Amino acid sequence: MSHFTTIDGKIEVRLSSEERLFLGDVLPLLAGIGARGSDPAADRLQVPVYLDDPEANEEWWRLMGSDLDAGRRSDRAVFERTISTKGTVALSNDEADAVLRVLNEARLALGARFGIDVEEDHDELPEDSRQVLDYLGWIQEELTLELMRAL
Amino acid sequence: MLAQTTPVIVPDTDEDIDLDEPWQVVVWNDPVNTMTYVVYVFRKLFGYDETKATELMLQVHHEGRAIVSDGPREQAELDCFRLQNHGLWATIEQ
Repeated sequence: MSHFTTIDGKIEVRLSSEERLFLGDVLPLLAGIGARGSDPAADRLQVPVYLDDPEANEEWWRLMGSDLDAGRRSDRAVFERTISTKGTVALSNDEADAVLRVLNEARLALGARFGIDVEEDHDELPEDSRQVLDYLGWIQEELTLELMRAL
Repeated sequence: MLAQTTPVIVPDTDEDIDLDEPWQVVVWNDPVNTMTYVVYVFRKLFGYDETKATELMLQVHHEGRAIVSDGPREQAELDCFRLQNHGLWATIEQ
């Protein structure tokens, strides 16, 4: 049974206490992302948008970077409320989208730190690292499919 | 933003800039983003139907990249922002 069910236009989220505890580690993970050049997670989440024009890239990040950061902070606040609530939580589609983006961001950050450069690298990971990514991927897949139904 | 030259005699010598050409937003293959998620993001952000979104996702997966939108530079930059906000590896080119 999925963790997510759409009822009366809301997406109901059901997470066990163990899952909420586990997902609680996502927020310090994301808050602890360092600077570009020193943390592969930061490099992955702040990729260049103009590959052949460093000046235009710098300008894009100057203009858009703070909005991107603000959006991510807002998403994480929704995520925190969701996993902090015992029992069933009902989310709007926008709130569920925020949770989805945080799950994806966490997988991207971990994947970068684990050194996943090609898809096959996933299978070579130590079991505990692979399990963390797979669990987040499982939850993310379920939520994506639920949100897809509303399109 | 653009490295503008100062045309004095021949105004069209800067081959890097063509104001009439649309800017393209490219999404690159990524070993972590899932196929389902990428299809969802294309459908949600651009309103593509499932077939079109899936075709683009498969093009990204197999060819390494796909152009997902094009238009004026401001629109391309906004589309790139929305894709980055969803964790997709998006770039802009002309």
